[in-house]
Amino acid sequence: MNADEARESLAFSEYARKRAREDMGRPWLALVLLATLSVASLSLTGAATSPTALFWVFVGPVGAGTIALYAYRRSRSSGLESSPLPYLAVTVGILILTYAAGKFGFAFGIPAVARFGPAFVAAAGYFALAWIERSWMVAAISFALLAVTVAIIGFDLSSQQSKALLFGLYGITLVAVGLSMRAGRRQLL
Amino acid sequence: MTHPSSALDDTIHQRVRLGILAVLSESRRADFGYLKEILEVTAGNLSQHLAILEEAGHIQIAKGIEDRRSRTWITVTRKGRAALAAEVATMKALLEGIGAAQRA
Repeated sequence: MNADEARESLAFSEYARKRAREDMGRPWLALVLLATLSVASLSLTGAATSPTALFWVFVGPVGAGTIALYAYRRSRSSGLESSPLPYLAVTVGILILTYAAGKFGFAFGIPAVARFGPAFVAAAGYFALAWIERSWMVAAISFALLAVTVAIIGFDLSSQQSKALLFGLYGITLVAVGLSMRAGRRQLL
Repeated sequence: MTHPSSALDDTIHQRVRLGILAVLSESRRADFGYLKEILEVTAGNLSQHLAILEEAGHIQIAKGIEDRRSRTWITVTRKGRAALAAEVATMKALLEGIGAAQRA
């Protein structure tokens, strides 16, 4: 084997590895994003104690459940089976840390930490995930969540304005995830 | 003293076989159709490469019927994962050696 052949083989195996990782991870990434974004939204809108919390509490998990079902079915039909465990671990990790950030704020009487801490933790979690997955989409959503949180703090936005921004972020996330999954499906078909 | 290239494993340093192991090492298992599509090879060609890898103990092949169609699932073995890691490390070391020699 000469140097050019070795380079070509290595590049090809790297391409195959990357493509397989993309094909497997896309739906599970969506699940992580939507499930944890719901929790971050609860604290940002201060909706945990109001009837609007029902939206974040029920629609988020229902959406996440639907995506999980889709991801499982797609994994079976695409011919590439992956383990959802790493993504489940990341989801649970982010949920526990966001919950802990909120509790910490209440316990030490720092309302700002209780309200904004979970969103910062979720954004940091997405950024770590983006690094691990080498995903620009997840990195962009991480920055968008960070920007929304900073805007809510910096401009002292009302609850209505905060919700509008978060709905916007949900919309952007859904469109980004949808387009990404559509692109992945086209590659597979 | 042996040449570093002697550490290369003949059964896996071929381009397609390296690709098969790379895909399988990322997943729990992959089916024949997926591998054929992603590696852009014919069914006959892929079958030959899979047979070589299976004989060497790098992969396991399971055939079955799912939703009234036959499917062939391929899984990488622990030996296969180790062999892939060793092969990639050896190839990278060889390329670094060649690069260093060219710069000198």
